[in-house]
Amino acid sequence: MIEIHNLTKYFDDIKAVDDVSVTIREKTVFGLIGTNGAGKSTVLRMVSGVFAPDSGTVAVDNMPVYDNVEAKKKLFFIADEPYFFANANAAAMEHYYSGIFEEFNREEFYQYLEKFNLDKNRKIATFSKGMKKQLALLLGICAHTKYILCDETFDGLDPVMRQGIKSIFAKEMEERGLTPVIASHNLRELEDICDHVGLLHKGGVLLSKDLEDMKCNIQKVQCVFSSVEDELKALNGLEVLKKEQRGSLCTITVRSTREEVEARFATVDTIFYEVLPLSLEEIFISETEVVGYDIKKLILG
Amino acid sequence: MTSRNSFWGSCRENHKRRIWVWIVAVLSQLLIYGGVTMIYLSRIKGFYAEGTYRSLAEFKQAMYQAARDAIGFSDNLYPVIMLLAALIALQGFSYLYDRRKVDVYHSVPVSKNRRFAVVYVNGLMIYLVSNLLGLILGMAIAASQGAVNGEVMAEAWLAFVWNLAFFLAYYHLMILAVMLTGNRFVTICVFLVFTLYEIIAYMLIGNLKAVFFKTYSGYFVYQRAKLSPLRDYTSYIWQLKNVENAAEAARIAMPLAAKWIGIALVVLAVAWFAYRKRPSETAGKAIAYRFLEPLLKVAVAVASAFLIGQLVYDTSYQNEPLLVLGMLLGGLIVCAAMEVVYDFDIRSLFKHLLSSGVALAGILAIFCSFKWDLFGYDSYIPAQNKIESIAIDADGYYDSYWDENWRYLDEAEYKKENMFLTDAEPVLALAQKAGQTDTEEMSENRTVQILYRLKSGRQVDRRIQVDYDDPETEALLNRIFQTDAFKMGTFQAITDETSYDHVAAVNYSNGAAIGIIPGEDAKKLRDAWVKDMEQFDFTLVRHNRPCGMITMGYGAEADYMSRQYYVYDSFENTINFLKKREAYYPVELDAADIDSVTVGCYHNELQNPYAGDPGYNLYRRAAEAEAVDTYVDYTVRETFYEEEQIAQILPHIYPSYIDAPWGRYGGAAEAVEDQNNYSLEIVFKKDSAYPYDRGSYYFNYCFRNGEVPDFVAEATAYTGEAE
Repeated sequence: MIEIHNLTKYFDDIKAVDDVSVTIREKTVFGLIGTNGAGKSTVLRMVSGVFAPDSGTVAVDNMPVYDNVEAKKKLFFIADEPYFFANANAAAMEHYYSGIFEEFNREEFYQYLEKFNLDKNRKIATFSKGMKKQLALLLGICAHTKYILCDETFDGLDPVMRQGIKSIFAKEMEERGLTPVIASHNLRELEDICDHVGLLHKGGVLLSKDLEDMKCNIQKVQCVFSSVEDELKALNGLEVLKKEQRGSLCTITVRSTREEVEARFATVDTIFYEVLPLSLEEIFISETEVVGYDIKKLILG
Repeated sequence: MTSRNSFWGSCRENHKRRIWVWIVAVLSQLLIYGGVTMIYLSRIKGFYAEGTYRSLAEFKQAMYQAARDAIGFSDNLYPVIMLLAALIALQGFSYLYDRRKVDVYHSVPVSKNRRFAVVYVNGLMIYLVSNLLGLILGMAIAASQGAVNGEVMAEAWLAFVWNLAFFLAYYHLMILAVMLTGNRFVTICVFLVFTLYEIIAYMLIGNLKAVFFKTYSGYFVYQRAKLSPLRDYTSYIWQLKNVENAAEAARIAMPLAAKWIGIALVVLAVAWFAYRKRPSETAGKAIAYRFLEPLLKVAVAVASAFLIGQLVYDTSYQNEPLLVLGMLLGGLIVCAAMEVVYDFDIRSLFKHLLSSGVALAGILAIFCSFKWDLFGYDSYIPAQNKIESIAIDADGYYDSYWDENWRYLDEAEYKKENMFLTDAEPVLALAQKAGQTDTEEMSENRTVQILYRLKSGRQVDRRIQVDYDDPETEALLNRIFQTDAFKMGTFQAITDETSYDHVAAVNYSNGAAIGIIPGEDAKKLRDAWVKDMEQFDFTLVRHNRPCGMITMGYGAEADYMSRQYYVYDSFENTINFLKKREAYYPVELDAADIDSVTVGCYHNELQNPYAGDPGYNLYRRAAEAEAVDTYVDYTVRETFYEEEQIAQILPHIYPSYIDAPWGRYGGAAEAVEDQNNYSLEIVFKKDSAYPYDRGSYYFNYCFRNGEVPDFVAEATAYTGEAE
């Protein structure tokens, strides 16, 4: 488990990370969402031990991480612009990392290279941006660390490759309990991969929740009530997050379980009602609007 | 097999990233040792083929010396070593400048200490291996040509250690520069500041003292950088190149090497501390530590301002307002430039005006402290009870000084080591009098250098101007000149008890005749002269010309050195000794021995008609600027053959060959007018029995001042037709 407590980081006079506290549980995919400049990369660099926090703590499996070799053995950090040695090829990078990470699985690495059609002898400098990210991910996966920290790593990957990486993540999570932490400014990229999401804004955490919890506790209902009295009766006692009406068709977002909503609507006279699944984007819109932010401006632009 | 995650495994991995540095280091060392050895030896062989050497032994000696110059203490090496030290350190630690590299290196499970040690040790190995390869190649080339013996080998290894210490000093300095900065350009600038700042600071302070302080000397105590290995290296390399043997080289080089290693260790400790504390996010920034920015800015701006000011001052004929303007503008420009460099943004020109203001205030404060002597430099005279001893050098005499190995010594160095005046009172009185007297009012203004050795251990040197014609000054100088301490510190002949064994020839000359004294009598003659020197004082030398001069010439083992002893009419012991050996000849000549006297009058009064006028210097400078040749030869010569005329001339002349120590010179124009205006050439009769030096056709003499006979003046008067 990675525990982040009251993490703060300044760059000169700029407060890049402001009192962030997040817990990243093992064997989950943790998504770190935020706009450019929200502090995602800085948080990841502090988690990976690149930066020392000005205040607060980061503990990886109860070990402080900054300049702690034992803690760093459990982490592999992939920066938004991964660095490879000048004139190096994939084999040379494998040689470097396998010398550092004791658990590095060389056989697996070369198998993955083949699967992803990456030539181990080709100079990395001639790789495309996406290929470099694939290579960085494969190196990280094959290092067999417990945690892999990816900073905007999925940006630039084509859907097939993304799917491939996700499959590998799923496999590694299943087999050895890998815990990926993925930072992205794009909510849609994380929707189908993350178990838990933390939303950063202006250096601070707006929210940090399990996706399932969020999905289970927010429902969207489309319905046409027979009368205003029915509507009042149906919504009485429910926490309505949002309500839109087009003609007689109401779209209502409420904080409640599906069962409770269905039970409530069954007791009133409606011409039509349906409980619809919410996208991650919609959940975020609802959750952040509650705390006074317009998520569209923050994430979706 | 070494584990890949072990220290040496990490070193091996790190070497892969430094291949080009390896190539540069090895190639440069092979070239500098191998190439230079070949060139030096080839040159000696060429000289031998041309017959420059008189014997095979001499040729062999020259070959050994050439090998020593190439692979031993060589002045070719230090720029290469400095460059390599800087390059190796910069390349090794420059990953700290790149955020992408920092992301990798600081996130992987390798401790900061391990990474530092790996990069550091690898850099050291690059130097050591390349330097050893070069040295071995140089030795092999020298050995193949028979230019290696035990001394050459010993010196080569000593030089290896000395160069290693020098490398470490600059290797560590560059590591420190890397740790304090965030990009290559700024690192190189900071490295140059570290390397040169102390040297430049001492130079600037010396220049400022020379410009603004009347009493600034630098004669006995030359203030120069104390912590700069570069200054040490360049100062001592010539001495080391010319040592007799490896033991002597070790005596000079090893203490310096130990000092450099000490400095290097301190610098390394600071660099390591800075590395440990350096935030990773400073990669790419100009300076890694914010608090250093204003400090560095002020330090560089102040030094640069004075450098610029000095340049303006020197090129503007010492224009002081321009000096101040140059300094302030220079300081301002450097402050602005450093802000731009700090931010890599031209709009930052006038950021942090507070530190710029501090820099300008510092510049002005330093200038004012010199200009108005705020710390009382010129008025400083130590209290008598605080003085341990004093050494002085009064302008007017120069002796030859050498050490036990027959190597010439600097005059100031000799006096500093050998003159210990304990009666400070006359020296302090002279200093006080000098402080109260305007040099313009002096009849003959001469310089006296003073070294005060204080009881605290501090040494202070000052230069004062005194009037040799002032009776009070003469009395004070007499008190100083009469002391044994002054004589022993001025005339090495008095203290030198051993070099007489090497005297090959002794002669006495009155300017024309030469008397020969056997070499075995050298010691007795010197003893007689030392006895006569008991009467030595300032009045004697100021008011009396020497009647002759003894020259002791040393043999080959003493490198054919020679020393002169001035003899005065009152030196009875010396003169009697010479007379007994029939080697004494009075200074006055007999007209019967002389064939002719040719008198030349330069007519200086016509040469510089405006000399003495206020506008003369302006006129002369303008003429020089326009390259106008203002010289007209007004010389009139007349040769006198009549014995009667010659007899009238001879009592008024003295030999030019014999100087008059502490006598008059150009400072008092009227006193040397005739000496400067007339020349005399005396030709002896060929059949004369007078033992004049037969190797010379004529002998140069001068008129004593004011004693030119009227008939000579008339005969050489200018009539409008110069020769």
